[in-house]
Amino acid sequence: MTDSKYFTTNKKGEIFELKAELNNEKKEKRKEAVKKVIAAMTVGKDVSSLFPDVVNCMQTDNLELKKLVYLYLMNYAKSHPLCTDCEDPNPLIRALAVRTMGCIRVDKITEYLCEPLRKCLKDEDPYVRKTAAVCVAKLHDINAQMVEDQGFLDSLRDLIADSNPMVVANAVAALSEISESHPNSNLLDLNPQNINKLLTALNECTEWGQIFILDCLSNYNPKDEREAQSICERVTPRLSHANSAVVLSAVKVLMKFLELLPKDSDYYITLLKKLSPPLVTLLSGEPEVQYVALRNINLIVQKRPEILKQEIKVFFVKYNDPIYVKLEKLDIMIRLASQANIAQVLAELKEYATEVDVDFVRKAVRAIGRCAIKVEQSAERCVSTLLDLIQTKVNYVVQEAIVVIRDIFRKYPNKYESIIATLCENLDSLDEPDARAAMIWIVGEYAERIDNADELLESFLEGFHDESTQVQLTLLTAIVKLFLKKPSETQELVQQVLSLATQDSDNPDLRDRGYIYWRLLSTDPVTAKEVVLSEKPLISEETDLIEPTLLDELICHIGSLASVYHKPPNAFVEGSHGIHRKHLPIQHGSSGPAAPVDQPQVIPSQGDLLGDLLNLDLGPPVNVPQVCSMQMGAVDLLGGGLDSLVSDPIIIMHPTLCGWKNIIYVLLSNSWSGPGLISVDFLLLLAVLNFCVLQVWLPAAKAKGLEISGTFSRRQGHMYMDMSFTNKALQHMTDFAIQFNKNSFGMIPTTPLAVHTPLMPNQSIDISLPLNTIGPVMKMDPLNNLQVAVKNNIDVFYFSCLIPLSIFFVEDGKMERQVFLATWKDIPNENELQYQIKECHLNADTVSGKLQNNNIYTIAKRNVEGQDMLYQSLKLTNGIWILAELRIQPGNPNYTVKNTLNEKVCPNLWPVLYNIIWMQLWMYYS
Amino acid sequence: MISQVFILTTSGDHLIYKDFRGEAGVDAIRTFYEAVTALSGDQPPVVMVGLGVQSHKGMHFVHVKQGGLYWAASTKSNPSPFTVIEFLNRLAALTKDYCGSLSEKSVRMNFALIYELLDEMVDYGYIQTTSTDMLKNFIQTETMSSKPFSLFELGNVGLFGAETQQSKVAPSAATSRPLMFTRGDQGGNEIFVDVIERLSVIIGSNGVVMKADIEGEIRVKCYLPGCSEMRIGLNEELSIGKSQLRGYGMAVRMDECSFHQAVKLDEFDAYRILKICPSQGEQTVMQYQLCDDLPCAPPFRLFPTVERDIGNSVALNVSVTLPIPKGSVSLSQELSSPDQSAELQSKNKALQWDIPRFPGGAQLSALFKLEVPGLSSASLQEVGPVSLCFELPKHTCTGLQVRFLRLTPTQPGSSQRWVRYVTHSDSYTIRI
Repeated sequence: MTDSKYFTTNKKGEIFELKAELNNEKKEKRKEAVKKVIAAMTVGKDVSSLFPDVVNCMQTDNLELKKLVYLYLMNYAKSHPLCTDCEDPNPLIRALAVRTMGCIRVDKITEYLCEPLRKCLKDEDPYVRKTAAVCVAKLHDINAQMVEDQGFLDSLRDLIADSNPMVVANAVAALSEISESHPNSNLLDLNPQNINKLLTALNECTEWGQIFILDCLSNYNPKDEREAQSICERVTPRLSHANSAVVLSAVKVLMKFLELLPKDSDYYITLLKKLSPPLVTLLSGEPEVQYVALRNINLIVQKRPEILKQEIKVFFVKYNDPIYVKLEKLDIMIRLASQANIAQVLAELKEYATEVDVDFVRKAVRAIGRCAIKVEQSAERCVSTLLDLIQTKVNYVVQEAIVVIRDIFRKYPNKYESIIATLCENLDSLDEPDARAAMIWIVGEYAERIDNADELLESFLEGFHDESTQVQLTLLTAIVKLFLKKPSETQELVQQVLSLATQDSDNPDLRDRGYIYWRLLSTDPVTAKEVVLSEKPLISEETDLIEPTLLDELICHIGSLASVYHKPPNAFVEGSHGIHRKHLPIQHGSSGPAAPVDQPQVIPSQGDLLGDLLNLDLGPPVNVPQVCSMQMGAVDLLGGGLDSLVSDPIIIMHPTLCGWKNIIYVLLSNSWSGPGLISVDFLLLLAVLNFCVLQVWLPAAKAKGLEISGTFSRRQGHMYMDMSFTNKALQHMTDFAIQFNKNSFGMIPTTPLAVHTPLMPNQSIDISLPLNTIGPVMKMDPLNNLQVAVKNNIDVFYFSCLIPLSIFFVEDGKMERQVFLATWKDIPNENELQYQIKECHLNADTVSGKLQNNNIYTIAKRNVEGQDMLYQSLKLTNGIWILAELRIQPGNPNYTVKNTLNEKVCPNLWPVLYNIIWMQLWMYYS
Repeated sequence: MISQVFILTTSGDHLIYKDFRGEAGVDAIRTFYEAVTALSGDQPPVVMVGLGVQSHKGMHFVHVKQGGLYWAASTKSNPSPFTVIEFLNRLAALTKDYCGSLSEKSVRMNFALIYELLDEMVDYGYIQTTSTDMLKNFIQTETMSSKPFSLFELGNVGLFGAETQQSKVAPSAATSRPLMFTRGDQGGNEIFVDVIERLSVIIGSNGVVMKADIEGEIRVKCYLPGCSEMRIGLNEELSIGKSQLRGYGMAVRMDECSFHQAVKLDEFDAYRILKICPSQGEQTVMQYQLCDDLPCAPPFRLFPTVERDIGNSVALNVSVTLPIPKGSVSLSQELSSPDQSAELQSKNKALQWDIPRFPGGAQLSALFKLEVPGLSSASLQEVGPVSLCFELPKHTCTGLQVRFLRLTPTQPGSSQRWVRYVTHSDSYTIRI
């Protein structure tokens, strides 16, 4: 300690001692010292010079010491050196003090800082003013109410008109941040006058200030196109700024305001031209900058491809680009590929396909396939390029090529089948399920052109049980196709595969698909042929565009993290869920509502490609005898792709798994309506199946390609949520997790979601999630509503579903007879409800047996005047008893339900009972 | 808004840590370090971490690597990553300006200075200024220089602005010297103007240039204490923009250029003169691009032989990389000079031929024989494309020249002005 030299007079000796004690290592000593200081303070001695030392003592767990320190702080906050420094003649010191003040994040103390801050906001030195502006934002974070009460927001607004551009920029930045958490989002009050001030300041302030101002401008909605144009004109010079952040912020403003300009005006066209050079310039930076730029350009290209359509060359890959830059460039190249430049693009892609990096090569091969599908004129060249690549025999290249060739076959049927022979040569080298499945599909689809198709398919059959499900299913269908085309030679083969699929397989999907084919083939081969070999719908070109509304939102966030992740900010910024989303401005005025933008339709999935094996063009089923209303156009039955064509959530008859059972249901509903397409024998199949209702909870379009359908069930006394996840996006999905919101029954998952392998595109996975009811309870409306969040590597998705009450019926729901009688009488009449069940033709014993299977127990049975009376009880997991009386007269069963606690449960009981009885009925008929 | 800024060594030591918004604790650094070390080469630099970790939920890190150090910023909101990357680069550049060089040692020695810089540069996560002119008014701490400066090391050819993929080219010592802001020391009267071009070329297998780009910049590093205005005259016949008609003259062309914001362009249109008041330190005055249609033929050709058609100059550190079929086991070579070398890098499936000095107008030839067991016609497809790395000092491909460099007011004493040119390969590829 050399501080002693500062203390020259004896008078300060005491202070010096205190100082030493305050810095003592022992906690006790420090406490004593603080007490002495307080004592000195109380008697009126000036101990303010000890401020830093006392503040030091604040770092303690000792409450007593802490309180003492606060006592001191309260007293001296006003004479705090910071406050006095705010009056210092040197503006640097004033600014430093104001800056530091904002960093003391103690609520009480900030009160003393209001006065100095107010002075600093009006300081004559701009350096102080700009620092004070930021300080308001700091203060708002600590105590928002106070900032408002003290009128600091108004002072900030005044600073927008400041003469110094730096002050303006900081005021804008502070106001922007405050308005994000402020209920009154129009805090910034953007009006033409203010905008004009901002534009003036824009030319003069530092590059960083320009970013604040441009970001703020992008939130402004000009009232007409003239205003939009004049703002654009003043922002355009920023495009040639050396700082790429400034450039991108300017691009954001222009992209937004372009919406407002008439598309045929000269200015619109010039502006589009001006946008391209700066975007190209961004690509000359470091790889990090390039990556960020490319992610943004990816958005811009999707929104307005015309901006960069001439510049495809700059997206050609350099050999020394890092791989993440290469992949992004490739993506943009495909988006920009057109008839005009396809030759160049293709030449490039071919080069890339011989590079070293496996991921990159795969993507390049896939890109060639996409070119073929996108630009019809180039398809032939693409195919020959792919053939060249197959000749290289590089394993992963061949496999990737075969997968894309299958897609090309789908897009241009009966054009390139001559190459099949070449493909078949590579059969043995395929080891990835995707490629094997693609190859098998090709062989099955074109079996009539391949002489040895049966041998080829037979060779796959040897290791049938070691194949992945995808390959097994494809193989099954391919052999059935083969059989239908060449029935004479392949009878044995089809027998073999059907028995492998139905008898030796544990996979219900496979087994059931096998059964369907078997029945179809044995019942009516002509129909089978019509069904299995029906015409397939063509596939579409753009499959991985961002959904237009999301794209528009992301355009509003150009240059921000959101544009890099391609996710809206509320998906990753904490606490921003309540914030209103940004929208592109809508053109208004004379031209009326904006014409629909000419954008390619987005197909959320490529679903029809992979699992698609037989395509039935069924009309909407007539006379659907079920609770659900099905809307079906062309139904891709086996691919599980039913839903991609259906807008509303639909209900599919389903056991625990997804996919093929749609067929039965559709066929079934058809058979009821008309002449027997399917024999009664076939219907008996249904009896084997444990039907329940599977519902699409989360359609793929709402969850970036993830589709979740599911149902609840109760098995062996445990509750399960049986779900089927289907990946309809182009990328694989990993890192699944699930979470329930609080719900009426306190239902939570017992185990985490067990999805261990990545879900590849077009695959689906079935999950049984065990549940229990020990979670937090919150009453929902309706009572059985459950809100679920599912996360994967792409995003977090939310949906809600209704839990069928029946899964809460516990096994020990059988009430003692005596208790039942007593309770029944005690329940007041207002807790009683009555229902009629129509069209039930069961006798009492059958009903009671079937209800018992669902944990509804019959306590007693009486026969009164020819009517059977059943007295039943059930218990919910939360201990609520429900008692019921079932009166059965032929054709008119009548349910009286009472419960012991809460009558509100009852309304939900009705559909449950209805379902149970109806289902049993249905089973009985089949 | 930037939440924290920190500088880490590659081994994870904290050199600098500054929290601006109190949104996360120091342990965010560890989260970042774990994330960044787990990054494999094929992952992009904007990292999002901590979605699972409760305390760092929604923490985003953006980093750049310079001088062997991680310069990282964390944020919780949705800022522009460009702003952050640009800022971090600027911070590194400023640190270099102030401390002379960019290394762990210099950062350690000047930590107080860097904190002071950060304090002025960022307030509550808002970037305030990064210009040395502004900052020098506020900075009180003095630089601790790690090594004494000597002007005699100027002979080296390497330029300061030239960050190449060839790290062998060391920056010249002349520019790794701290700025002396407060006093005009002796030896401080120097100004460097560098014209640096990076060349990306793809030559097809038939020898036709498929794509050729030049990215160029003019950088100024100024040690002059009191220079109010500098005038840089460029070629008078300089046309900018794609659409401009051009005659047969020797006009220098560029497609697009952008300027530092301090550059005054009032004489640019008529006389191609850039006027700037250079701040002390290093800055990029002008950046430009030229796509396709190069004014001169690309400097290297390669058929079976490498051919050069540039007169009276020398290329340095040329290295030729040729991807070869995998499974190549050995290489025999015939090179034309003993200082060249060729080696087989079986890990990268490539052959590298290094030519330390390549005289202008010369032709070098090399014959490589590879032994590939089980060679098939497909293996031949794996050969190529050839990529070249090189450096051409005293040469610009666009032909851009600095005609003159005038300083006002005229500097007292002997001020030294240096104008240097260099062209680097960025991505120079010849397909086979």
